[in-house]
Amino acid sequence: MHTLFVSEDSFSRRAAGKVITQLMLLAVVLLLGTVICASAYAGPREQAKRIHDRLAGVPPSAATLDAMAELIQSGTGSDAQNAEAAAMLATEHPDFYRTTLKNFAAPWTNRDQSIFVPLNDYSATIIGIVRDDIDFREILSGDILYTDDGSSGVAAYSQTSNLHYEQLEDEGVDLGEHLQQQQQSILLNIPADATAGVMTSRAAAREFFIAGTNRAMFRFTLINHLCRDLESLADTTRAPDRIRQDVTRSPGGDSRVFRNNCIGCHSGMDPMAQAFAYYNYSFDAESDPEGNAGQLTYNNNGAADVVTGTRVVAKYHNNASNFPFGYVTQTDDWNNYWRAGRNQNVGWSPSLPGAGSGAKTMGTELANSNAFASCQVIKVFRNVCLRDPAEATDRNEIQVLTQSFTSNGFNLKRTFASVASYCRGQ
Amino acid sequence: MNMRLPKLICTILCLPILHACSPGAGPAVQENLDLSSNAGSRSLVLNGPAPQTDDVQKFRLSLWENVAPENRCGECHVANGQSPGFARSDDINLAYDQVNSFVNLSEPRQSRLVIKVGEGHNCWLASNQACTDILTTWISNWAGDAAGSSNVIELRSPALKDPGASKSFPQDSTAFANTVHPLLMTYCANCHRDNAQTPQSPFFAVADVNAAYEAVRSRIEIDEPANSRLFLRLGSEFHNCWSDCDSNAAEMLSEIETLIASIPETEVDSSLVTSKALLLADGIVAAGGGRVDTNVVAFYEFKTLTGTTAFDTSGVEPAMNLSFNGDVSWVGGWGIRIGDNGKAQASTATSGKLHDLITSTGEYSIEAWVAPSNVTQEEARIVSYSAGKNARNFALTQTLYNYDFPARSSLTDGNGNPEISTLDGDEVLQATLQHVVATFDSVNGRQLFVNGIRIEVDDEDGGTLNDWDDTYAFVLGNEVSSDRLWRGVLRQVAIHNRALTVEQVRLNFEAGVGEQFYLLFGVSHLIDVPEAFVVFQLSQFDSYSYLFNSPFFVSLSDSSMPDNIPLQGMRIGINGREPEVGQAYRHLDLMLDGSEYEPGIGQRISSIGTILGIEKGVESDEFFLTFERLGDNANVVVEATPSPEAQAPDAASAPLIGVKTFDEINASMSVITTVPTSHPDVFSTFGNVRQQLPSLPGIDGFLSSQQMGVTQLAIEYCNVLVEDSALRQDVFPGFDFSGVPSSAWNQAGTEAFVSPLLGRVLGLNLSTQPNVAASRAELESLIQALIASVNPGSDNTAQRTRTIAKATCAATLGSAALLIQ
Repeated sequence: MHTLFVSEDSFSRRAAGKVITQLMLLAVVLLLGTVICASAYAGPREQAKRIHDRLAGVPPSAATLDAMAELIQSGTGSDAQNAEAAAMLATEHPDFYRTTLKNFAAPWTNRDQSIFVPLNDYSATIIGIVRDDIDFREILSGDILYTDDGSSGVAAYSQTSNLHYEQLEDEGVDLGEHLQQQQQSILLNIPADATAGVMTSRAAAREFFIAGTNRAMFRFTLINHLCRDLESLADTTRAPDRIRQDVTRSPGGDSRVFRNNCIGCHSGMDPMAQAFAYYNYSFDAESDPEGNAGQLTYNNNGAADVVTGTRVVAKYHNNASNFPFGYVTQTDDWNNYWRAGRNQNVGWSPSLPGAGSGAKTMGTELANSNAFASCQVIKVFRNVCLRDPAEATDRNEIQVLTQSFTSNGFNLKRTFASVASYCRGQ
Repeated sequence: MNMRLPKLICTILCLPILHACSPGAGPAVQENLDLSSNAGSRSLVLNGPAPQTDDVQKFRLSLWENVAPENRCGECHVANGQSPGFARSDDINLAYDQVNSFVNLSEPRQSRLVIKVGEGHNCWLASNQACTDILTTWISNWAGDAAGSSNVIELRSPALKDPGASKSFPQDSTAFANTVHPLLMTYCANCHRDNAQTPQSPFFAVADVNAAYEAVRSRIEIDEPANSRLFLRLGSEFHNCWSDCDSNAAEMLSEIETLIASIPETEVDSSLVTSKALLLADGIVAAGGGRVDTNVVAFYEFKTLTGTTAFDTSGVEPAMNLSFNGDVSWVGGWGIRIGDNGKAQASTATSGKLHDLITSTGEYSIEAWVAPSNVTQEEARIVSYSAGKNARNFALTQTLYNYDFPARSSLTDGNGNPEISTLDGDEVLQATLQHVVATFDSVNGRQLFVNGIRIEVDDEDGGTLNDWDDTYAFVLGNEVSSDRLWRGVLRQVAIHNRALTVEQVRLNFEAGVGEQFYLLFGVSHLIDVPEAFVVFQLSQFDSYSYLFNSPFFVSLSDSSMPDNIPLQGMRIGINGREPEVGQAYRHLDLMLDGSEYEPGIGQRISSIGTILGIEKGVESDEFFLTFERLGDNANVVVEATPSPEAQAPDAASAPLIGVKTFDEINASMSVITTVPTSHPDVFSTFGNVRQQLPSLPGIDGFLSSQQMGVTQLAIEYCNVLVEDSALRQDVFPGFDFSGVPSSAWNQAGTEAFVSPLLGRVLGLNLSTQPNVAASRAELESLIQALIASVNPGSDNTAQRTRTIAKATCAATLGSAALLIQ
């Protein structure tokens, strides 16, 4: 390992001192130069450079820059369309997948929303779906998962380990080249109708089905894919008939807390999270307390949990004595009570029934909402423009891009290109 | 017509009292305790003949000895005194004869004797309720198995009346816009709007007054403005007051009252399909009992609701009444709440009965219905019989998520240690109402039960209680020394001088706590079934809410039965309107039909319960039901379309450029240097500095420490590049890496190194890139400085040449030229 300024190559401390001074000076000089220049007029080459930086995260080659600049300058469409075409060229760079998309998805795959987590089957599937221009709604309902195509020499996919993906990342494998679409139901050995895109990936299960009550899967899916936390969806006027027994109706002996707060989220969340009633993440709490070697489990038709006597996993009956008159989960039937009341504003699809059984149909319900579509666009906007939509022009653009996203088969790669075009600079 | 629901209905429909029906449930009291030594001023002498029967003897032991003293009924109801002479001492058999028509052994609480005292007739305590309970206990003890054996609930038709008029919020938000809304916009809009930095629902402080009105209505109590959450949050909970909480709360209340004053009282919405209306007083008390109280020696139900004394209603003398100290308040639905410095403590004199009665059996149980305020308090005394924090006979305490049970015996120290506790990981203790029992006996040692379930904890045999100290005091919610406060609500506490069995604990858990009623909502005017009712179990859940539970349909007419009657969308109405919150039956959709209906029992409508807020008070609140459809009566409920979400305000302008993040920096350096990211040296260094590098692209958050990480990584990439002959040959084909500095870094050499370097980092011919000439000058200056530092004697080597190359490379690679995007 090479250690900074103290190395075997006689890089003396005296020289090191001078070098660091020079480095810092140069860094500042170049930084200032760049910032000053950034405010200057951005021509086709400058726009192409920014687009490439934002999408691939790395500098373009001279040839790529020339080609992109040429498309921007001499394309046959509008300026925005020409820039979008140039952006599509930038999406061909391996680091669009290996770096940009990986880090785009990484925070969604863990409770801490940390970006510093290894590649996993959740983030790899996001990358693959974008690469292959697959309808992005599939991320919440598809029988789909991406693995290496077998040519990278990494460990095989495992239901009980993330090593396959960690090695893909460590080896710097070109994910744009080597990811291969697989059937999740085969990889995870669950029925096809029990698959629900990334929600039933191993990585998501490890984070959101582990212990607890499975409500975390619903909450984090809302945060990550509808850009709404429960707080903003709380509606105390929904019927509390599906709130489970484990939710105390008198926290600390004060039922007002329940009536004014708890009920707001649980009345809508519990009937939706019931869709996950047959899922669990199994691990050995003694030898593997973090669950690193655990796996997603699903109670197939005919299975009976020893606690519930049904396919419903035991955690759904946790703390049943907290409120014995609460709802007792017997199936994975879910209902969307938020289709009425103030959460109609989520924009639920009128062509769906708002009820069903299992995670796949519930994921379809979420993914077909307006909130899902606009959330994807907003996330891409933040990722590419490096800021939130700020004022009316941005907000209008979000609406236009959302409309475009939904009418173009929910193709997120094109959304990346469109947003990069919008933020290419003038 | 009245109807009697037999045991079966209890089994099917009345889960909370299920075990009132269980064989073997309930007390089997045969004899009272001989407390002659503790009877205080009593000095009873029974003359005359011996009891003629066993029942007379039971009457004597259980009731007569308790009521006969001159400071109780014995002052008047004696021979030749006031009739009936049930407290006479000249002939126990005559006393027995005279009391029989004044007691109801199957329902002791319904005894004339009890009712009379409850009405205020010479209660010997400060609380009629306490006298009632104690007298009930004595009669129950006499009755033994007979008490509570009648588990038939007699449903009687209440007086039928229509729901009364009341106020309700108008659709128009104008009044709100002119009163409360401006206040909310001024003081609450930083958080209570959906587009706030950290949005906090409800969003009643949004500019759209209709949306705000929609959100705020459930926070305003239209019939009791002072119960409005908007007011209470400021006045009682000190929630973000903008100056002085009292005056802020008063200001808010004033606006609320102005708003409500502008709303005319209206009749119940005529479009609603409503049942008949009821008060709680119209309800039928559910048959209580089912508890195992055979060996209770102290019992607190906290029914008094006024004053500063909680009465021991065990009926076991001396009464171990508790005096309140500090913040102890009554809780509706029976209970006390322990607050700051609070405790409820008995005197050491009366507490002594615990010592006497428990050491005589060598076993005991502490039973309590508790609702801890939080799961953060430690060593907090829920129940204690002690002299201070270091000396006790027993205690039940809370430590975070655990119940602890220090119990003094021959196997422990004088403080009951080592104590037993529930397991940390199980998080058995929750901040909700729980039934907790701690038992001790010499065979099983100490045991803990929570909500009827035995908690697995290790304990040795129990030992003996010979070392117990009779000078200690019994206390709830704190240590007697007031330095171990427990915050929470106690709904019931019982001390038994026997260890309850697993089955007995379960029975007491299932018997529940508090009083339950059956409310019969008449619906015969809506369907063609005579004497038809929707029946709810109702209890006061706590100080703020009712618990409505397990509704069923029944006709009190034996010959009637529903026939395909649709029931949809049932809601509970209170005081003329339907509360928006808590309507758990609004999605009901079922048929009342003979196929599901059992005569004499009815048809279950739902098994779940819900809580609704107390509004005017338990005496005044009027309840009714509404239906979206019942039979041929329908009221189609169409929820209003919500206001569209508020548009976010314009944000401050953000920089249009940013910095590359960690992986992008790593990948960019790899692209520029052609060193793969998987190279072991750079892989290792990147692993070390990864989380030091920027994780967010915001340029305004860039730190010098992040620049150091960038520099460190740049040096490693350049080190690998310069030391790898193949890579460096590709990148710097014209530079002599084997020459000494003085020759390698001549003008041509410098050009051969700097040009490719700048070409790779900057060379895209962009107007936005750093100035190439200026950058070149900086690099050449750096190179010259490094050459000048070379010691001709020791440093003038090829290695030194490469070191200068690495430094020059790193200065460029680690600069803003790469970092900015």
